[in-house]
Amino acid sequence: MYEEVSNFKETKEETLRRVRVALLNILEDTEESRKEAVDEKNKTMAIIENLTDGILLLNRKNEIEIISPPVVDFLRREKEEVIGKNAFEFFSGEDFKPFREKLIDEEKKKIKQLFRQEISIGERLDLEVTTVLLKDEAKDKGVLIIFHDVTRDKLVERMKTEFVSISAHQLRTPLSAIKWTLRMVLDGDTGKLNDEQQELLEKTYVSNERMISLINDLLNVSRIEEGRFLYKQEPGKLEDVINAVVNSSQELLKMKKIILKMNLSQDIPLVNIDKEKMELAVQNLLENAAKYTPEGGSIDISLEKHEAEVVFKIKDTGVGIPETEHERIFTKFFRGENVIKMETEGSGLGLYTTRNIIDAHRGKIWFESKEGEGTTFFFSLPFAKQTLTA
Amino acid sequence: MLKKILLIEDDKFLRELMNKKLLTMGYDVVCAADGESGLVAIKDSKPDVVLLDLILPGMNGFEVLEKAKKDPETAKVPVVILSNLGQSEDIEKGLKLGAKDFLVKAHFTPQEIVTKLKAIIE
Repeated sequence: MYEEVSNFKETKEETLRRVRVALLNILEDTEESRKEAVDEKNKTMAIIENLTDGILLLNRKNEIEIISPPVVDFLRREKEEVIGKNAFEFFSGEDFKPFREKLIDEEKKKIKQLFRQEISIGERLDLEVTTVLLKDEAKDKGVLIIFHDVTRDKLVERMKTEFVSISAHQLRTPLSAIKWTLRMVLDGDTGKLNDEQQELLEKTYVSNERMISLINDLLNVSRIEEGRFLYKQEPGKLEDVINAVVNSSQELLKMKKIILKMNLSQDIPLVNIDKEKMELAVQNLLENAAKYTPEGGSIDISLEKHEAEVVFKIKDTGVGIPETEHERIFTKFFRGENVIKMETEGSGLGLYTTRNIIDAHRGKIWFESKEGEGTTFFFSLPFAKQTLTA
Repeated sequence: MLKKILLIEDDKFLRELMNKKLLTMGYDVVCAADGESGLVAIKDSKPDVVLLDLILPGMNGFEVLEKAKKDPETAKVPVVILSNLGQSEDIEKGLKLGAKDFLVKAHFTPQEIVTKLKAIIE
């Protein structure tokens, strides 16, 4: 009996000890998890606090939970004034009108889904805002609002546009006066000229035209940017771009007595293009082909539909590119040795810009060439996707 | 009756050249050297077409165009912009405001400009 009791006691003590150990283990694990969670939170906060982009985190009830330092600056409010406030109430203030209009769907009482939408707060601030809905399985967990400061970019863009606008205007005005005068004198509006006068003034006129086109090139924003940036990319027809370029190049082709053949196949799918930039790319290729093809030569342009892309092809019967220079052809300021000898004008920026433009469109550009026989340039652009990201 | 063209241009020499060309081609020409007087002239002289510069002292060409198009009395008068601005934003803005055409001065000869005007008047 005694033995039994003692056995029983021991078992009880044993059990207790085991439970205690287990409990301690659990506690330890919990403490570890808690530490980990705190560490994670600190890490996340450190990332958020130090991002150059501003972050605003709303919880499920649309209360502001996190505001990062840049947003404090953007909103011009202290952190304490913002945290815990309901976002709809907070943004209802008069000075937050631009934010409210962009961010809040007043009808559905929720934050709109945005991707890089611009918010402009007077002259002071330009922001790009993106909102991300946080979810786990079925539940909404809140909204993350990201502000990217583009004030400086916008300012530089405005200054650039203004500079180009003003210089183009100032430089062109005297040149227009020269052009108009020469043309009117040459057309006999002021009386008949003798042959020598006619010839000299004709040459002056051509020189002046060259100056005008030089200024156009120099002040073409797309060229200044070297075709790196696209502004208005939308699904469009590459055929339209080609036709526009060909139409405006008729004079050049006629002057060099070049025969142009076009073969644009039907039902070419739409491609995502920045029309202005794409025109520049096609124009550069056409101008090159015309410039480096001797009088009476021919240029073939074609457009074909491949599996997932549209392929543009322009083939000339020109001087070709020397084999040794094939690698450098798309580099900045490159001009072929054989071409420099021809004394034709050229900046060495055309193909460089063209490649940048095609790259920016996620396309590919390549060529085949044989010196003395001609060159064919190709570029391909992927089909426009049906669904566009807003 | 002679067709009447209103020329709004601040550069004296360019104005004289264009004036001369238009007279030679047999048009009646009215000139204005700034935006304000140009706008008045659109009302008063009832031209068949206006040749409008954009960079003008005081009221600029865009404003002149906008005001002319808002006034029912002058809204129907065709306006052709003749300027040395020529960035796509400027062109878009001009056409949106109701200009018939946008010609960059340095890219057209007086004869070509007259041909464009002729097409619009007739």
